[in-house]
Amino acid sequence: MIAKKWLLAVMAASLLLFHAAPAPAYAESTPYESYNYNYWEEAVPAPAAYIPDRTLSGKDLGVGDFRDPGDMVVAASGLIYIVDSGNGRIVCLDSDWKVNKVISGFDNQGKADTFKNPSGLYVNHEGNLFVADTDNGRIVVLSQDGVLLRMIEQPQSDILPADFKFIPVKVTVDQAERVYVIAKGIFEGIMQFDQNGDFIGYVGTNKVKRDYTEYVWRMLSTKAQKAQMALFVPTEFSNIDVDSKGFLYATNIDPGSKEPIKRLNPSGEDVLKRFGYFDIKGDIRFRLSVGPSKFTDIKVLANGMYSALDANQGKVFTYNDEGDLLYVYGGKGNQVGTFKIPVAVEFSGGNQLVLDRGKGNIVIFKPTRFGTRVNQAVGYHYNGEDAQAVPVWREVLQLNSNYDIAYIGIGKSLLMEKNNKEALEYFELGMDRDGYSVAFKRYRREVMQEHFGTFLTAIMVLAAVWIAFKLFSFWRRKRLSETSKQASQNLKEGKAHEAGFH
Amino acid sequence: MRQDFIKFPLHLIVHPFDSFWDMKYEGKGKIRVTLTILLLVVISMILKNQFAGFLVNYNDPRHLNSITQLFTIVFPFFLWCLSNWAITTLMDGEGKFKEIMMATGYALVPIVIIYTPMVIASRFMAEEETTFYYLMMTISSIWFVALLFVGIMTVHQYTVPKAIVTMLLTVVVMGIVVFLGALVLSMLQQIIEFFVNIYRELTFRT
Repeated sequence: MIAKKWLLAVMAASLLLFHAAPAPAYAESTPYESYNYNYWEEAVPAPAAYIPDRTLSGKDLGVGDFRDPGDMVVAASGLIYIVDSGNGRIVCLDSDWKVNKVISGFDNQGKADTFKNPSGLYVNHEGNLFVADTDNGRIVVLSQDGVLLRMIEQPQSDILPADFKFIPVKVTVDQAERVYVIAKGIFEGIMQFDQNGDFIGYVGTNKVKRDYTEYVWRMLSTKAQKAQMALFVPTEFSNIDVDSKGFLYATNIDPGSKEPIKRLNPSGEDVLKRFGYFDIKGDIRFRLSVGPSKFTDIKVLANGMYSALDANQGKVFTYNDEGDLLYVYGGKGNQVGTFKIPVAVEFSGGNQLVLDRGKGNIVIFKPTRFGTRVNQAVGYHYNGEDAQAVPVWREVLQLNSNYDIAYIGIGKSLLMEKNNKEALEYFELGMDRDGYSVAFKRYRREVMQEHFGTFLTAIMVLAAVWIAFKLFSFWRRKRLSETSKQASQNLKEGKAHEAGFH
Repeated sequence: MRQDFIKFPLHLIVHPFDSFWDMKYEGKGKIRVTLTILLLVVISMILKNQFAGFLVNYNDPRHLNSITQLFTIVFPFFLWCLSNWAITTLMDGEGKFKEIMMATGYALVPIVIIYTPMVIASRFMAEEETTFYYLMMTISSIWFVALLFVGIMTVHQYTVPKAIVTMLLTVVVMGIVVFLGALVLSMLQQIIEFFVNIYRELTFRT
């Protein structure tokens, strides 16, 4: 009896404990709402593609707090460089998040030299560091071990004004060792330097857009008023990155622009593919009090994808090479995974990293199953392996049946396999009218080829029936008119007869 | 029956000058035919929005509503007739309200006879061929406007410039009517609210 009671108590306790125990931390929870835009430009909830994993501050790394870090770069070797602007140093981490080295100065012809508020960094494929040493007005090129290789200082050129002051902010290097620099107060575009550090010229000027009301207003103003008005100057670029083919990806912060992201070819033309449903400008719908997306960084990922960082709302927008918005993550706030002043987005071993200047830390985002599958499928499609992409897209659709790009991806693959009828359905689900049209044309031809005989027979039969009907009615009318003629004749005769009778 | 519903409207759309004359002076038009045409326009509009081919149909299927479509056609139709009647009585028009209604209704015939076949055809079109669809749609609209113009001109016995001015003024009057209607409705609403409030106050006092 006692044993039974005791057993009961244990059972009750275990039940209680089971219920009282805190639920395991929900694995896929995020402090932000994930969404994507559908064809009708509505923000539709979507599964998160990336979830915050952990944060790393300077203290966690044991190098002291970061002060206003300005940029972050992941080198080809996997080393992660953080430009700690306020402390004038560059912190290098290895891929296990351990401090590899800290570069706080270099040897400049026998003298110890330091950085002054560096805010941009690029690491080329050899591992050389290009530091935009902002307040010193120079680009410092260091080898991997921190040995000074050369410096790019105040450029000399006829096209530069006499009082020009070189204040580099961001820097990027392409395969041909040309150096691209975004400098403060330069509206003409991105400054381009050759291998030796000589100024070549500008690439990719932002066009000035004149507001119509502004134009009218200007016409009505007096000279004195005009002098006080703001000048129409093109917006500055905010950041650049270079892809594997040597094309520059540049972002600007023009608030009204429909093209805040540009892909510049070597002659400076914008060649970004914009085949998606809507403009590549971050948020399509936003509160007026918040304003449109303001991109501060861009990172080219593998397989033609690129991520752009919206500082206005702390979101990261990732697009594929055709300009479809793949997913959005991040937000503003104080939780892990939201940012105060995000300044740089990077990609390292499948994870995405965001550097937050406001909090002085790095947030590491790891992909969810959804994010991984999307990346994988986009990769297959980019490399022309559409058939392999199909099962992956199907899995994506299981996770998010509103994912239009997956429908289009499957449709394209079916089109390749000449399975036109099924492709039609998928293109319609993905609202891809171009793909639908191609599939429909092929399908229509197929059907026509198959049924041309029956079609022609039907037409012949119809024509024969019609001719027979016409002939028949003609014959009937003729007979009718004949009989009526006869009848009238009879009538006449009858009348005459009657007349004669009288 | 056949004469009224099929032969005369089909004759009218290709011989507008004679037919509108016949309508006014020979008593050939019928109000019930006008209403039938209006109904057919509504039906063909609904069919177009619902069943036109994917390549030409940019409607969000979640927001399609046949009742709304009915009102977006029937309401402007009567608004147009009313405004036109109002403006033409001031501008020495000879048309009666019935004649205005009939002229407007019969002018809608091209829309009925072009829309439905094009909706069927659009389901068998590829993207390059949709130009043809849009061309036919445009033709039907232009045809409608031209017939309406001839109709108004004949019914009121106007010259060409006067007919154009009247039609433009009609559109303005339509706007005024809508504005006044909205004003009256909101005033009514406030008056009703006022009396409801008085009633409430009184019930609480006693």
